[in-house]
Amino acid sequence: MTMNRKSRRDFLRQLACVAASGSIASLMPQLRMMGSALAASAPSSLDGYKALVCCYLSGGNDAWNMVVPYDAARFGVYTASRSGTYDPNANSGGLGLTLPSTAAQIAAQVITDANDANGATNQYFMHPNMPELQSLYTQNQLAFIGNVGPLIAPLTKAEYNADPTSRPRQLYSHSDQENLWHVGTGVDNRYGWGGDSMNVLKPQFPPGNNTQLSPCISISGSNKFEVGSNLFPYQMSGSSSGTTNPLAQLSAVCNPIGCTGTSGQRDVALNQLLGAAYQNMFAGEYQQTFKRGRDLFALLYGGLNSTDGQVTTAFPANNSLGNQLLSVARMIKLSRINNYAARQIYYVRMGGFDMHSGLMGGGGNAHAALLTKVSQAFSAFSQAMAEISATNEVTTFTMSEFARTLSSNGSGSDHGWGGIQMVMGGAVQGGRLYTQGGGPLTGFPDESLDNNGNFNRGQFIPGIAVDQYASTMAQWLGVTSSADLGTIFPNLSNFDAAHRNLGFLG
Amino acid sequence: MRALRLFAGFVAAIGLFGAATTATAATYDRIFRYGLDPAPDAPASDAEAARFLTQATFGPSVADIARLRALGYNEWMDEQLGAGATAGRPYVEQVIASLTTGGQNVSQTQRLDRWFWTATYATDQLRQRMAWALSQIFVVSDQSSGISNDIIPMSEYQDLLARDAFGSYRALLGDVTWSPTMGRFLNNYHNQKPSATTQPDENYAREVMQLFSVGLIQRNLDFSPLLSSGNPVPTYDQTTITHTAKVFTGFTYSDAPINPPNFYGGAITNAGAYNPMACWGLELFPYDSSNMRHDITGDDGTLNSSKTVLGGLTIPSGQTCALDVSDELDIIAGHANVAPFISRQLIQRFVTSNPSPAYIGRVAAVFEDNGAPDHERGDLGAVIKAILFDDEARTPAADPSYGKLREPLLRLTAIWRAWNARPQAADEYGQVKMTGGVSFLSATGQRPLGSPTVFNFYEPDFQQPGQFAEQNLYSPEFEITNESTTYTTGNMFYSFTRRAYIGMDLPPDNQTLPTDRPLLDLSSLQANAANATAMVDEANLRMLYGSMSPQMHDTLVNTLTFMSGASSQELAWSLVYLISLSPEFAAQR
Repeated sequence: MTMNRKSRRDFLRQLACVAASGSIASLMPQLRMMGSALAASAPSSLDGYKALVCCYLSGGNDAWNMVVPYDAARFGVYTASRSGTYDPNANSGGLGLTLPSTAAQIAAQVITDANDANGATNQYFMHPNMPELQSLYTQNQLAFIGNVGPLIAPLTKAEYNADPTSRPRQLYSHSDQENLWHVGTGVDNRYGWGGDSMNVLKPQFPPGNNTQLSPCISISGSNKFEVGSNLFPYQMSGSSSGTTNPLAQLSAVCNPIGCTGTSGQRDVALNQLLGAAYQNMFAGEYQQTFKRGRDLFALLYGGLNSTDGQVTTAFPANNSLGNQLLSVARMIKLSRINNYAARQIYYVRMGGFDMHSGLMGGGGNAHAALLTKVSQAFSAFSQAMAEISATNEVTTFTMSEFARTLSSNGSGSDHGWGGIQMVMGGAVQGGRLYTQGGGPLTGFPDESLDNNGNFNRGQFIPGIAVDQYASTMAQWLGVTSSADLGTIFPNLSNFDAAHRNLGFLG
Repeated sequence: MRALRLFAGFVAAIGLFGAATTATAATYDRIFRYGLDPAPDAPASDAEAARFLTQATFGPSVADIARLRALGYNEWMDEQLGAGATAGRPYVEQVIASLTTGGQNVSQTQRLDRWFWTATYATDQLRQRMAWALSQIFVVSDQSSGISNDIIPMSEYQDLLARDAFGSYRALLGDVTWSPTMGRFLNNYHNQKPSATTQPDENYAREVMQLFSVGLIQRNLDFSPLLSSGNPVPTYDQTTITHTAKVFTGFTYSDAPINPPNFYGGAITNAGAYNPMACWGLELFPYDSSNMRHDITGDDGTLNSSKTVLGGLTIPSGQTCALDVSDELDIIAGHANVAPFISRQLIQRFVTSNPSPAYIGRVAAVFEDNGAPDHERGDLGAVIKAILFDDEARTPAADPSYGKLREPLLRLTAIWRAWNARPQAADEYGQVKMTGGVSFLSATGQRPLGSPTVFNFYEPDFQQPGQFAEQNLYSPEFEITNESTTYTTGNMFYSFTRRAYIGMDLPPDNQTLPTDRPLLDLSSLQANAANATAMVDEANLRMLYGSMSPQMHDTLVNTLTFMSGASSQELAWSLVYLISLSPEFAAQR
């Protein structure tokens, strides 16, 4: 008996329905065996549970102030390129951080790159407002990757200057560069690398996984990253606070089932309106979206109200990212208990990083304040994953459309290109900086302005492509065949074979 | 005619025509343009009139449907194009002053109250609707900390858009560029010439071209991309941005002190904070003065070169700041992309998400030449008329991709206008509250002048995954429409329907009559409480311009019938609430 992928998927779906009905639990082992036996020529069912959590830092994070060389020589170069050390009185236009000097500062900021044996160049310091993440780094639960950004192929400055087609389109544009991060290539693509990866993995989900809930879940609205062919994210309402249910009830109808009287009659009417067919695409799409919302509310609301969908770890107050990550933590716990999916991808988002002005100021919206929120939210999420025994199963990472110019515009920085991203979790080979992409620009970049690796204001040509960064995570999640990786990341083959997995996971 | 005019003035004065409160009404009401004969271009039915008003206003009201049918399309359009702008800023200024004097907190809610009031009650509907569309292109946002406390200047920015809504694009671009609200949002305010270690801020230089005028790639008149060897052609590159950033330097508040000079001073009065910014350049200070903040140099940082900007055009070095900006905006506004780029987005805001290339081309041609004796370019009044009077707008295509998702906030204003919502009386501070404590951005994804970023609530090129993306169709409003916002938007409608109508049944949940939102008048529904079909017919005309499908009609009639024990109030609000949730109300065709 041979089955093409589609018919096998249909068969597994039917099995899943049988399993989900749950009437005869003793049948389950046999059903599992049938599933794996039939799948002999296809990948076997995925084991265990894994999730990726994408934290998008919107606006272009000034990553060059997240990780700074600590040795005197490179720190001096950094300071000069950042228009001097920031001083509200003497140099308000400077964007450079102060060198940690006290013992307490050194303990809370300085890190060593275990990938670099050279004691003269392997020390860095982290932004002073990220002590929680510095602590995770020293516990090997956090790594930095850079200099990473959209590329079509490995690129030198000479090639950039000589051949405009060597450049990703519309560099420096927020929307376009964000798009390239989402699709995971240096050229446009209809689907995101998260959704594409899940498209490969979903047919390998074991029977019994939920077929209603998308394995891609967004806590922050629409995003291309989680869109694949025939696959798009469930957009949950944003935030949790404590044990409050993140799902809002819909007024004056039944939530979710079983009510009587006029609410019940309105409920019937709404279900009829959402069950009808609409010729107009806008009406039809709205109807399907709303109906899906009703169905998933029914699936999830009760669980999120119970301890199955709650964590006890305290998340920071007045921290939108923390509230979003709390929702993720609750959904991961609920999903694992209910066996919703063997693999999940989550998307959260934090704005405010487009700091053309006020980058260094002390206000609540300056870069330092944002990094405080990132650090505290990530730290709480890490603790929540420990609480639910998912530390090794969940990997959290950042994306941001670009880093920013090193040189100041008098109050902030402008749009750049390559930058530094973070990866956090128990599966991360942490305590390291991953700076080798196998191309012509390697190592932590020389931060002098207008050298071979950057332009006149310190906009860096990436040494590592988004494709390499992303494919490392896709491989960890379970996308292993080179054919699948080639489909998701069509330009990956342009990069050195030994660096298509950067090795920071597993 | 003379007698008729006098008569018209008399009629308007006694208020027979509630909507005719514009300045022209006192001397001449256009309703008598054709004497007592029907207008030759009148909509054939109430439904047709309501459909047009759904596109052109904040929602059809019974009075406006009647007026449009009496005037005909052309007279209606002329009346709207001639109507002056209803201002918001003076009201906001007064309310803020009263609240401050009274020791009360002030917030952007005062501005939002006025925005919703104007959208719902102002008679310059088309102008205000155009200002709303323009505010989604020339975006500023109170979500940015830079202007989140600039309540009065932001309401002036809204007024600016309304005043300029039917003027020339170039004038609008100038007013936007000089606005301190825009300046503080996109950082041209306090931007200055390079120092030994700093360079001009590039933010405004980039976004004014990417979002407000030409976009990223070169376009034909019908918006199709111009191709070179099969590839789109960029309109500018990073070098252009660097050069253009020099132009937008030297801006500060108009009342920043000059003697002694304080570039960082100003905004001493409300007017100082909202009047157009001033330049600190050669206008005020000699070339070598440290007080001169404008970058007069060219590309190479000296006076020996000029500034090479968009399209490779140049601006001479050594000019005043005002001249540089004027030259730059002339260059941007003169670019061939502007007509298709702006026309296409306006069509998307008013009529359909996927206009045919021919439709864009026809509107863009009017943008290029308004057809008047002076052949004005960028006449926005002519552009909106061309958009609304085009066959593609007036005759709905059978194609399922025709139309658009109605913006959530326009669905709300449409409910208010459909049901003659009664505004609250002004409170002791002069406030007329409209917003009901709703957080519009989190509930709906929209907030007037409150987008998350300069990229608006949604992007014109957004493609909803699935049928839209697979067919390469656009669906901007779906970027904010998802499994959770359908719920939260529905709950917003609940707050403004079930929780807000005249004669609200207070028990069983003992709600007090709200004072922070307008109250719907559902009396025409309640009067028909015994006749479900009549109720649904009435709601169909008011909310769905008569387009309700038989199947939806059946569903609603059956529901009302089964709710036989319910009060007439509950029947009425249930019907309005259910329609507000429905797919047919969400889509505009």
